[in-house]
Amino acid sequence: MGNHHDKLRSNNRDLQDIERQFDRREFFKKTSLGIGALALNSLLNPEKLWSAVDPLAGQQNIQAKNKLGMPHHLPKAKRIIYLFQSGGPSHLDLFDYKPKLTDMFGQDLPDSIRAGQRLTGMSADQTAFPIAGSTLNFKQYGESRAWVSDAMPYLSEVVDDLCFIKGMHTDAINHDPAITFFLTGSQQPGRPSIGSWVSYGLGSDNNNLPTFISLVSNNGSGQPLYSRLWGNGFLPTEHQGVQFRSGKDPVLYLGDPENYDGNDRRQMLDYLKKLNGIAYDAYGDPEIKARIAQYEMAFRMQTSVPEVTDTSDEPDYIFDMYGPDSRTPGTYAANCLMARKLLEKDVKFVQLFHQGWDQHDNCPGGIKHQSKNTDQGTAALIKDLKQRGMLEDTLVVWGGEFGRTVYSQGQLTATNYGRDHHPKAFTMFMAGAGVKPGFTYGETDDFGYNVVKDPVHTHDFQATLLHLFGIDHERMTYKHQGRRFRLTDVHGHVVKDILS
Amino acid sequence: MDSSVPDFVLFLGRFHPLIVHLPIGFLFFAFILELYGSWNKNSMLSIPISVALFCGTISAFLACALGYMLSLGGDYDQNMLDTHFWFGIATTIVAFFAWAISSGRLNISKFKYLKTNIATLTLVVFLLSITGHYGGNLTHGSDYLLKYSPFGRKEKVELPTVTHLNEAVVYEYLVNPILEAKCISCHNSSKMKGGLSLQDSLGMVKGGKNGEAFIAGDVDNSEMLRRVMLNSNHKDYMPPEGKTPLTDEEKSILIFWVDKVNADFKLKMADLEASEEITSIASTMLGLEDISGKGGITLPKSQTIDSEVLSEIEDAGFVIRELIFESGLYEIVLVPKSITSKNGDDLEVNLEKLLPIKDRIIWLSLKDNFVQDKHLKTISKFKNLQKLEIEKNPITDSGVSELSASQNITGLNLYQTKITALSFENFTKMKGLQRVYVWGTSITQEQVDNFVSKENRPAIILGI
Repeated sequence: MGNHHDKLRSNNRDLQDIERQFDRREFFKKTSLGIGALALNSLLNPEKLWSAVDPLAGQQNIQAKNKLGMPHHLPKAKRIIYLFQSGGPSHLDLFDYKPKLTDMFGQDLPDSIRAGQRLTGMSADQTAFPIAGSTLNFKQYGESRAWVSDAMPYLSEVVDDLCFIKGMHTDAINHDPAITFFLTGSQQPGRPSIGSWVSYGLGSDNNNLPTFISLVSNNGSGQPLYSRLWGNGFLPTEHQGVQFRSGKDPVLYLGDPENYDGNDRRQMLDYLKKLNGIAYDAYGDPEIKARIAQYEMAFRMQTSVPEVTDTSDEPDYIFDMYGPDSRTPGTYAANCLMARKLLEKDVKFVQLFHQGWDQHDNCPGGIKHQSKNTDQGTAALIKDLKQRGMLEDTLVVWGGEFGRTVYSQGQLTATNYGRDHHPKAFTMFMAGAGVKPGFTYGETDDFGYNVVKDPVHTHDFQATLLHLFGIDHERMTYKHQGRRFRLTDVHGHVVKDILS
Repeated sequence: MDSSVPDFVLFLGRFHPLIVHLPIGFLFFAFILELYGSWNKNSMLSIPISVALFCGTISAFLACALGYMLSLGGDYDQNMLDTHFWFGIATTIVAFFAWAISSGRLNISKFKYLKTNIATLTLVVFLLSITGHYGGNLTHGSDYLLKYSPFGRKEKVELPTVTHLNEAVVYEYLVNPILEAKCISCHNSSKMKGGLSLQDSLGMVKGGKNGEAFIAGDVDNSEMLRRVMLNSNHKDYMPPEGKTPLTDEEKSILIFWVDKVNADFKLKMADLEASEEITSIASTMLGLEDISGKGGITLPKSQTIDSEVLSEIEDAGFVIRELIFESGLYEIVLVPKSITSKNGDDLEVNLEKLLPIKDRIIWLSLKDNFVQDKHLKTISKFKNLQKLEIEKNPITDSGVSELSASQNITGLNLYQTKITALSFENFTKMKGLQRVYVWGTSITQEQVDNFVSKENRPAIILGI
């Protein structure tokens, strides 16, 4: 900052010092609007003076924590575990049972259903669109009589705790834009992720761990994931999600090197903080404060992370519940167990990613394989949260970025078919805090192609998620480049019908 | 609008508020010059004084004429209008005489000893002030001038606070506040725009020039609702441009009142069946935050809590989180293992610290903090508690019995405590209770099945 146009600066030593405190942007920001706004703000509300400038001040005092005026209403959820199924799981082979398709197996999809909808380049030039009813068996379970295919035997045991949304639809048809859209509200990269928004709006409940943690399982593979999916976009850096690596060491370099006792680390950090403080006084850049906060967080994580990621004291019956995979660090099941431990420590937003739900070919086999890796972990997590009473205020979300087509991509045989991306209808489910248990909302047509009742758009889902946290999605904004941004942009309606 | 009055007359009439400021300026100026002239005996001022008075008289006459045209529109209270009208005319006439005297055209020799100039001008200013005051009352309403005066301010009649939504009279508590905030500055008994006054039930029933404002059960034909529901660009849209429009919630309340309450002025919420949306809006309006979403349990009104009280609670080791911004409603968490069997006696002291805000605590978590039965006696005083987490503590059935009078708790976590099935009886006494978590206690699945088989029982959640 500032240094890149040093040649243009004055030769006078005293003036140089002053000049160095501002670069052009900072100068305009501070002199034109900054000071005026600050003065007005202090006039209107004297206690709030300086509050926006100092991100650290808020951590201590309850009054200070609430600067942004949130929550707007009484929250239902204190924390969330978002099980993101990357790739677009087939709703037709898991939850959205369409018995009529068995009789129509192999017939061409009627044009009236597709209605000229654009397809991906992968199946757009197919000469026929043969209907592929699921070859998996569906049964009804629980008191709620919810349909689940036999790919998910464990999940079928907990359907009475789930709230299925069968009328989901989204805007994007390919993975990258669709995931980015789902998790940041925009198909173009650059916006903050949902977890960052929640962290920004509500702050942390545990000062020793990050507010937002993401975990990517190592037993799924497929379309890549990007750090922007848990990134902070234009929000202050301390709101970005911290990715825990899958494997033995979830966070690298937390342990001390050999022969170092760590005794003078506190001293080292204090000096570093002093240095950063000098830089902050000179430039007033809030990112410096964010950096100081991150160093402090890392220091506290040296003790808090090993403690929370250590599963050795979990009894065998818990491991058995999550399945054999749960003993292998980094798998989906192990991450589910770790997620529960993080949630117990009041980490507000935990997001799991599991890749590989992209069944363009060999759909029945692929779905079974994916389900085998995730089904038991998901169901166990819900049961485990419930028996500990945590489902009371923890929101569980399961879903991908879109659904899959009813017609077969590639060749259709009696036992095998593929399915292309389908944004116009798919299924998600939620459970826990504030959503109706044992409930199904929305309906698709007989082909599972279009939503015919109670559609829920991606933005509606985002609005509802924020609503459960006590946030009005229309009122949580952040001003960037002269415009106030929202997670839901200018869209989104809270789906009140699924709220308990 | 009265059809017998040509539009052009009304058009001219609307210039009255503009023109009316001219005579005020001229006549006051003449008065000041007169005072100044008589103070320093400057006879040179007599010409400017008579010019000012001349202009003042002419413009006053013009203002009267335009004012009469404006009054033909009929938007004003007749009594007050008459007073304004006659005082206006009197002002004009006296101003004319003042001019005649000052310019020497009228010589009243009889009153030689009386300073005629000063006397007439004083009278002009006096009349002018009265006329102006009434004019102001007509445009802004009679309570406009003194509304914010520091003295003799009439305290607005406060409605008694309701503690439960059902006690609220729909009109008084919900409809009238909206009208007061957004409508009656133009539609009151003295300034009746469009002939409509929304100040009291009389005016509301009467309606305005364009028909009935509220027709019971008929939202579409109620003129008032029709106008507020229009697109904001429509020329009939109310409130007009520049005024704050009604929010969606406010519109919902008005529609509810006309449609479901039949525009009745006496009915209470208790007499009606209101949708979840209406209950929730109404609760928010009355500061009774509605939590169940079904109008069942209501939260206490917002209130600011002294920050010293909060600091003391934080110093005692509790984490405080405000559940709704500036509501003074809190979630209190004691970090697990803050209290163990070693410092077990501290808990009682710490819990005492919470008593100043006992009715403001909605969620409380004391898990794994060596909570014993005696502590639950203190907790039972927190009467607005909705969620209580006391798992992993040495609590027994007798502790749970302390909570049996806590009617607002919906979720109770007793996982890994020492309770037995004997506590079931206490659960049934807690009317608000929906879910109890009892995994890791001596309670068996069989006992649970037996218990929940009856009606109106909370869900008892066990584990594997």
